[in-house]
Amino acid sequence: MVKMKKRPIVNILLATFFLYSFLVSIKLLEKGIKTLGAEYTDALFESVSNPFAGLLVGILCTVLVQSSSVTTATIVGLVGSGVLSLEYAIPMVMGANIGTTVTNTLVSFGHVRREQEFKRAFAASTMHDFFNLLVVIILFPLDLYTGLITRMAENGTDFIVATGFTATKPNSPIKAGIKWGSNNILDGLSSIPFIGNLSENSYRAYAVLLIIIAITFIFLSLRNVVSNMKSLMLNQIEFGLDKALARGGGLFAILIGILITFSVQSSSITTSILVPIVGSGILSIENAFPITLGANIGTTITAVLASFAVDDPAGLTIALHHVFFNLIGVIIVYPVKAIRNFPVNLAKGLSVITAKRRYIAILYVLVTFLLIPLLGVVLFN
Amino acid sequence: MTDLLDSIDAKLSEMLTNSMHAYDITMNCLLGDTNLETVREDLYNTDKAINELHREVRREMIIHSAVNSRNLDIPLLLSYMTMSKDIERIGDYCKNLFEIAETGNSFAKGDDLDTYMELKNDIGKLIVYLQSCLNLDDESKVQDLITLGSSLNNDLDEKITALLEDKEKIQYPVATTLFYRYLKRIVSHIVNAATAIIMPTDQIDYLDE
Repeated sequence: MVKMKKRPIVNILLATFFLYSFLVSIKLLEKGIKTLGAEYTDALFESVSNPFAGLLVGILCTVLVQSSSVTTATIVGLVGSGVLSLEYAIPMVMGANIGTTVTNTLVSFGHVRREQEFKRAFAASTMHDFFNLLVVIILFPLDLYTGLITRMAENGTDFIVATGFTATKPNSPIKAGIKWGSNNILDGLSSIPFIGNLSENSYRAYAVLLIIIAITFIFLSLRNVVSNMKSLMLNQIEFGLDKALARGGGLFAILIGILITFSVQSSSITTSILVPIVGSGILSIENAFPITLGANIGTTITAVLASFAVDDPAGLTIALHHVFFNLIGVIIVYPVKAIRNFPVNLAKGLSVITAKRRYIAILYVLVTFLLIPLLGVVLFN
Repeated sequence: MTDLLDSIDAKLSEMLTNSMHAYDITMNCLLGDTNLETVREDLYNTDKAINELHREVRREMIIHSAVNSRNLDIPLLLSYMTMSKDIERIGDYCKNLFEIAETGNSFAKGDDLDTYMELKNDIGKLIVYLQSCLNLDDESKVQDLITLGSSLNNDLDEKITALLEDKEKIQYPVATTLFYRYLKRIVSHIVNAATAIIMPTDQIDYLDE
């Protein structure tokens, strides 16, 4: 049997290059935001001063870019540049958690032709939605009123900075390397006559251009990191899932979810892989659930990496908030069977309805991920 | 590091090892004086192991498809699907052969024992041959296997036709017809599995057409 050959060295080099390009893009975003000026950015982020609006903006942005990593990395860049406060950023990151689940829900539509298969696939995808909604319902008000997770993240930041971890130092080799890259790009851009003129005569237009370039490169870099890491880790992902399948659910499955997502830098990849496996019936929804929870934890690494590119330790704080939020969510939901089954049963219930009336599945996606967030943003402003 | 496709290859090979074992112990019952009770348990357990490997192959194909959704070698997976099914059937026909022995038929003492033993060895060699072809990208070797299997099937067909036309006077005509018939099915499944290695997806199993 003839099989395709793999090129791991090429994938390693490309993934490393695009990871560097991702960090440089975060730095460019920070530069662009700072160039824009405080009075403009304050007005811009006034719209997310209401925490519910922030949450819904987080959902919307993630649905539009189909990646919570892009949203959270951008938020880390904004917090790191000092223009977006932690208070405003936290609900947005929680919203990104919900928004990212749309990707695997869309993947489940690939099984729409066969009723039973679609029922399983749709339940496998929406259990992630219900889990994230449940966690936001519990932790969002808790953090809003007690500031518990925020304090944990701040203490975590203080601890890491106090240990002298190299990436947190302003003059660390990592930060110096990122700064070198961003300065060269800025010099390169300034040498283009049109952009050079813009930077001298219209700093706001120049800042907007920088922000657009930075977000585009964050998106493209992450996309390429994910695709190269996925190519590199294909065998490990296959064997990890095979082992998880053999062992059933449990902590091992959570660990597999963390490791796969950590290695490919995308929870959508992990959860989208699960959809056809559950759809085919070889993995039960209950046993796929812990892998999804692991993916939720594993995805937080991208924000932590992004925080290495920014100067302000607040960037690390928002990244750690993301880590603690997702970790605590799993700790609350997973150990107790009744709570653990709640999102799973909700997803199963919805899948029974959508398998019979498939237009409801489309309505569910449009209403949950577009209509409610859009209406909410308008109402809360 | 090997991938799941290598693991599927290994499982197909293990299925063939088990099939060979099932075939061997069954034929020893029909052509020798082996204790049927002892063999029964071994045979049915071996068949269960083959079936479980078949299910594992299917599961691994689903995982491979889910992980590699954008670069999927669909013809290869379809080949695995059909091969694993063909190999799985060998175990089932061994159980059918065993049922012939269980109903009190034995070819151990007949005049044709040498012919039967030769047949047993030829088919056994085909199973081993198929196993050696799994990991090879050697079309000529697989083609040889298909030619050998087809020729063996023609011989078995002639024997069955002779029995149906009552040209041969033998001790157990019904049992012998079934015996040849089941052996022919085993050979056909080996040949079909071999066609899956080298033939275009739409041509698999349709050697005669």
